[in-house]
Amino acid sequence: MSERNEILPPAGFAERWASTNWNVIPPIPQQPLMNMALDEVLTERVGRGELGPTIRFWAWSAPCVVLGRFQSVRNEVNEENAAANGIQIVRRISGGGAMFIEPEGAITWSIYAPDSVVSGMSFPESYAALDSWVIRALRGLGVDAWYAPLNDITSANGKIGGAAQARRLGAVLHHTTMAYEMNVPLMLDTLRIGQEKMSDKGTRSADKRVGPLRQQTEMSRDAIISHLWQDLANLAQTTSATLRDEDIAEAERRVVERFGLRSWTHLLP
Amino acid sequence: MHHGEFKTPGGKLVAVDFDVRNGEFAGVLVHGDFFLYPDDAFEDLAAALEGAPVGEPDDVVAERIRTRLRTGAELLGTSPEGIATAVARALAAGPVNDGGRS
Repeated sequence: MSERNEILPPAGFAERWASTNWNVIPPIPQQPLMNMALDEVLTERVGRGELGPTIRFWAWSAPCVVLGRFQSVRNEVNEENAAANGIQIVRRISGGGAMFIEPEGAITWSIYAPDSVVSGMSFPESYAALDSWVIRALRGLGVDAWYAPLNDITSANGKIGGAAQARRLGAVLHHTTMAYEMNVPLMLDTLRIGQEKMSDKGTRSADKRVGPLRQQTEMSRDAIISHLWQDLANLAQTTSATLRDEDIAEAERRVVERFGLRSWTHLLP
Repeated sequence: MHHGEFKTPGGKLVAVDFDVRNGEFAGVLVHGDFFLYPDDAFEDLAAALEGAPVGEPDDVVAERIRTRLRTGAELLGTSPEGIATAVARALAAGPVNDGGRS
């Protein structure tokens, strides 16, 4: 990467972030469909004011491809190969690109915040702002990371991760996935990565663009998540929280009624 | 079926799939890794093209999309012009075999 295309959060955001009291939910493995549904349930609860600003660290109990809200299955996934490799296809409520997820290979979290946390910001500024604590935490681990518009966490050694947002009922959902370790052959066997997608990247293959954190830190996945949490707690007020039984029940209901149905996963065939 | 893609430099990819029937767009899908708020506005993108005459200049196609997109909707990473470019590429490429889906 020859030059840095960096976007910074707006002035004063650090104070806004620090004065917010964040509930933090630790990673508990969930089925991919439950992770999709929980994001919607918790965003709505924050939007209705029933729950304060919350950050949920994810854990995955199965490999999957997570499609963006507006992506077509056949354009992004080799469904035959995915099925043969036991990789489920799910669709999230936010836009953005497909993610290939293996449970030990990804570090994912969601931020559920009232719109007031990003008020006055453009969408690009809000992306940079809501991941600014992560950039700081990564630098604390010696990773030369920065935020590249629109929604990428990147580094001198390649892209680390990406974020996506959805807005619901006065709340913003901002979720981010970072690559910890990548099974590149399995990813390339599963995802369709066309030439047009790479047209402005200046690299010839998908695997050259990424700099997974294991390679860059030699730390365990759990140790990186602990560091993120600790760094977050150093910057803002945090309270350890858990999912309520009724949130889990509501998410399970939405999996049955929507997220698990072909009419949602194959909304765009 | 016709298929075309356009990635906005530094932005996101948009793709279009459609058939041409009696000189009009039919069975239009607009998709990609762009962002759009609110997400309900997504249906406006395909609706802008469905039934429209094929062969209009790119700026007319872009204007159709811009006009149809509901007030207040915000596209991020692509644009009506980007979608029009994907449409033009799809037409230039000619029909592709879609395995009998259409």
